[in-house]
Amino acid sequence: MNRMIILLVLSTLILVSCSKATTEKSAGDIRLQSLTATLNPIEAWDTTIITVEATGSNLQYGWEANHGDFRGSGKTIKYAAGECCVGLNTITCRVFNDTGEVSDTIMIRVTTHYHP
Amino acid sequence: MVRNAALSMVLIFHLTGTRVMAQCCASGNPFISDAEQPALQSRVLTAALTYRYSHSEQFYHNDSPYRDLNFTQTANVNYTELQLGYGVTKWLTVMGDLGYFFNKTLHTDGQDPMRGYGLGDAALYLKFNLYSNAKARFTISPSVGMKFPIGVFDQEVDHVKLPISVQPSSGSFKYIGNIFISKGVGKKMALAGFISYEYAQLIESENFYYQYGEQWIGALYFNYKIIKNLSLDLQIRNEYRAKAIRENKEIVESSGYNVTCFTPQLTYAFKYNWYLSVFGDVPLYKYYNGIQMSFGYALSLRLTKKIDFISIQARRQANTISE
Repeated sequence: MNRMIILLVLSTLILVSCSKATTEKSAGDIRLQSLTATLNPIEAWDTTIITVEATGSNLQYGWEANHGDFRGSGKTIKYAAGECCVGLNTITCRVFNDTGEVSDTIMIRVTTHYHP
Repeated sequence: MVRNAALSMVLIFHLTGTRVMAQCCASGNPFISDAEQPALQSRVLTAALTYRYSHSEQFYHNDSPYRDLNFTQTANVNYTELQLGYGVTKWLTVMGDLGYFFNKTLHTDGQDPMRGYGLGDAALYLKFNLYSNAKARFTISPSVGMKFPIGVFDQEVDHVKLPISVQPSSGSFKYIGNIFISKGVGKKMALAGFISYEYAQLIESENFYYQYGEQWIGALYFNYKIIKNLSLDLQIRNEYRAKAIRENKEIVESSGYNVTCFTPQLTYAFKYNWYLSVFGDVPLYKYYNGIQMSFGYALSLRLTKKIDFISIQARRQANTISE
């Protein structure tokens, strides 16, 4: 019994793996026209407004940043990042509806707030 | 008798086994690896349920408050964790824990709060009873372990992904090695020391590249049995985390810290091996690289149950013989 427990624990520790399935989605009737920011670069904790322009029916918008955070939702969104996120950050916008999905990225540079 | 004394000591340190995440709102479980205890005796099971509230609000630059920001921000976390430990043999204890966030919330003046919630990380440890002298009440227990990012790391609100700081899971596998040394002093006291090292694996995805800095924790424990069922624990703990790395191997200057905490704790032992602990984490010294929100305080409550299967079996056999 004890050996079984030890084996189970060891195998759990050793056989850790992860897999990621990716699915290509078609654009459907969506045409993404632009993805722009009002300010770029920005200082840490300052805000820039990012807007996506796209055509299509019943569009929905998804947002993701590798560093920093958003306020609001929809086609126009506020982006800000603290001192932890100083650098060149990638903001990904995903436009989707029942027919498909399109995504684009914009790079926002965040500079330090600290000026000794 | 000696066995019971050893088990009591194990439980005392089991109940003191806390660890604070010194960053205000870092992703992943905020505390308790519960590695800070000696190996359990063979066929002893401990189960503990902990609730923790933590609060942070002050930004720090190095070792001083940073007040040159034109907004205020606070963070609070309501968290619970289930921990299980089982003495598989007299030299090996298997331990695991699983965390759940009721909320992990960042409040900024004049804005809607950002709230993450859900399953955090899970952890598994193998703890070894390297040396144990029951008569001298001296134990040396090294352990190795791993944290698994099984929880939520891609939480969204209205299709907008929450920042990594409020995601429940750390999104990263972590590897841990530590050693715990304890020594009983007289009938009512015990002293212990603990050193831990943690290495976090790189998080790499399509548009995300991040590696938490390595972490060192050192702690000193003092335990005193006030009365028969009530004990006091005092802990001084230093936690150091190195700077993180992001895309293109850039060092994240405003990451990493060095924080020393004081953790007082009271534990009451009820009948049938139930234990209730209340404890708090208070920072004594804080040093944060760059500008970061600093850890404020934390309050915790823990209920622990110990089951000694050997004692249960012995009692059953004794009853059978007497019948």
